[in-house]
Amino acid sequence: MKNILISLFSIFIIFACSSTPIEKVDVQETKTVDLTENSQQMDNKVIMSDVGLGAAYITVLFDYDDDTLKEESLEELFTISRLMKANSKYTLLVEGHADERGTREYNLALSERRAKAVEDFLTATGVSSFNIEVVGYGEEMPVDNSSNETAWSKNRRAELYFIK
Amino acid sequence: MKRIIFLLLLAFEFKADLVLEITESASKPIKIAILEKNDNSLAGQEIINVISNDLKRTGEFKVLGMDELLSIPINESEVIQRDWLLMDVDSIIFVEVQNKDNNLDIAYSIFDISYNETEDKRRVLGLPDSLRQSSHYVSDGIYKYFYGIEGISSTKLMYVTRNGDTHKLIISDADGFNEQVLLKSNNSIISPAWSTDAKKIAYVSFENNRAQVFTQNLATGKRNLVLSSKSSVSSPAWSPDNKDLAFTSTKDGNSEIYTINLESKKITRLTENLAIDTEPAWSPDGKNIIFTSDRSASPQIYEINVRSKLKRRLTTEGNYNARASYLDKNEIIFVHRSKTDFNIAKLHLSSRDLEILTSTKNDESPCIAPNGNVIIYSTKDGNLSYLAGVNISSKVSFKLPALYGELKEPAWSPFLR
Repeated sequence: MKNILISLFSIFIIFACSSTPIEKVDVQETKTVDLTENSQQMDNKVIMSDVGLGAAYITVLFDYDDDTLKEESLEELFTISRLMKANSKYTLLVEGHADERGTREYNLALSERRAKAVEDFLTATGVSSFNIEVVGYGEEMPVDNSSNETAWSKNRRAELYFIK
Repeated sequence: MKRIIFLLLLAFEFKADLVLEITESASKPIKIAILEKNDNSLAGQEIINVISNDLKRTGEFKVLGMDELLSIPINESEVIQRDWLLMDVDSIIFVEVQNKDNNLDIAYSIFDISYNETEDKRRVLGLPDSLRQSSHYVSDGIYKYFYGIEGISSTKLMYVTRNGDTHKLIISDADGFNEQVLLKSNNSIISPAWSTDAKKIAYVSFENNRAQVFTQNLATGKRNLVLSSKSSVSSPAWSPDNKDLAFTSTKDGNSEIYTINLESKKITRLTENLAIDTEPAWSPDGKNIIFTSDRSASPQIYEINVRSKLKRRLTTEGNYNARASYLDKNEIIFVHRSKTDFNIAKLHLSSRDLEILTSTKNDESPCIAPNGNVIIYSTKDGNLSYLAGVNISSKVSFKLPALYGELKEPAWSPFLR
C-alpha cells in the first residue's frame, strides 16, 4: 500500500512459459530535490558575490553567431579599462549571453566566448585578468523574450558589472 | 475487489500535464477493437481505456469505440467474422483481468479477423497499484505484434518546465501521467540525460550562477557535483556502460570536450583547438563521440574516436548543424539550418543522405525514443516553447503543448525492463 502514490515503475521479464510470454511489473521510488525552499549552495567556491545587484555598468552587443567586438563598443571598453587600471581593487564580472536561435549548449559556449572577448580586450589594454571574472549564461536569461530580430539583437550581449 | 476500486479512484487522481495531440496521422492506421473477455469489470474498463489511449497516441492505430461495433463478442468463439470484415477491422484484442492474491495480472490475445483465429497470447503480471504501467506493457506488446518495432508506452519522459522564475526538472510516464518533480530551482536547468540503466540522471544547473553538471540518483535524490571548477561545465552524456560521463568545459580556457571516469574521477581531454567544441554524444558501442564544433567557422558535426582521437567531419550541408546524437551506428539526428529555420534532420553516414524531419521554425533539443523510431524535440510557438515529435517510419507527427509556462529539453528514458 505504501507504494500507491510513488511510481517509477521498472518492469522486467521474470520467466517465459512455453505457450504464453509473461512479464512482471515492479515499483521504485523517486525523490524531489527542492532548491527553492532553503537556498543551500552545493559549491561555495564558485558563487560570485553580489551578482545581479543593480544594472549592468555597460552592455556590449554582438552579431549573430559572432564574438567579435564591434567598433561602437570600444570607446566604452576603453573607459572601463582606464577605470580599472586607475584602481586595481575593482573586480569586473563579464556575463555573456546569446539569443534563442540554435542549440542551448552551443549558445552557452558562444556566450562565454563573447564574455571572453571582452576580457581579452581589457587584458590587452593592460588590465590584470586577475580582476576580471567571466561567465556564460547562454540563451537562458534573455532581456527580451520575443522571437524577432529586435529582441535577438538585444539578447546577443555581454553585461559588465563591477562586483568589488 | 473493494481494494481495487479504491486504488482505481486514486489512479484517477493522477493528472496529466502533458497532453499529446496527433498533428498528422499514419496514412493507413491499423483498425482494431479492444474488448474485455468474459467480464465487464471496472478494472478491465480502465485497462482498456489506458491501452486505447496508448495506441491512439501512436497515430498508427484506429481503435473502434464500443458504439461503433456491430456486435460485441465476449470471447473468441462469439466473433461473427463478417461483421468485422464489413468494418475492415484487422484484429480484436481480448483483455482478461486476473485479480487474485493481491495481484492484478492482464492476459491478452490478438484475434485476427481475416484468419478468424487467435494469433498471439501474452500475460503481464502486475499489482493493483501498477495498473497503468501493466496496461502500457500490453500496449507495447500489441504495438510490437503489428509493427515489429518495440512499443514505447511503458517508457518515461524527462523534461524541464519553466513558469515565471520556477524551473522544474520532471519525469513522467510517456503519456504524461505520474509526474515526479526531480529538481525545483530558481535558476535554469538544461541538458538532462538518463544513464543507460535509467537509475541516474545528469543535467546542467545554474543554481550557483554558472553552468555546473550534477548527477542525481532517482531513488534517493542524492546529487553529486561532477566537477568543481571556476569555469563552466555542461552538456553531460553518459557512456553506454555508465562508467564515464562526457562533458564540455572551459576549464582550460576554451570550450573543449572531456570525459570523466565517475569512479576514479580521471579526466581525459578529447579536443584541442581554439574553436567551440561542445554537445558530445556517444556512439552505441561507446567507441566514438560526435560533437558540435565551429572550427570551420559555422557549427558542424564531427566524430572523434575516444581512443585514437582520430576525427572526421560528418556534416557538410547547411550553415548550422548542432546537438547531434546517434540514431544507430549509421545514422545521426541533429539541429540543422540551411537558410533561416532551425529544423531536426537525419543524416545517413555512409550515403550522406540528409532528410529534414520537421517543419517548424526554431526546433531544438532532439532526442530519440529507445525504440529508435520516434524523435521528440522542443519548438516554439510565440514566446513559449513546447514539445513536439515525429515517427520516422510512419511520419506520424504529434505535439505536447505546455498547459502553463514553458516545456523544453526533452529526454526519453531507456527501456525500463
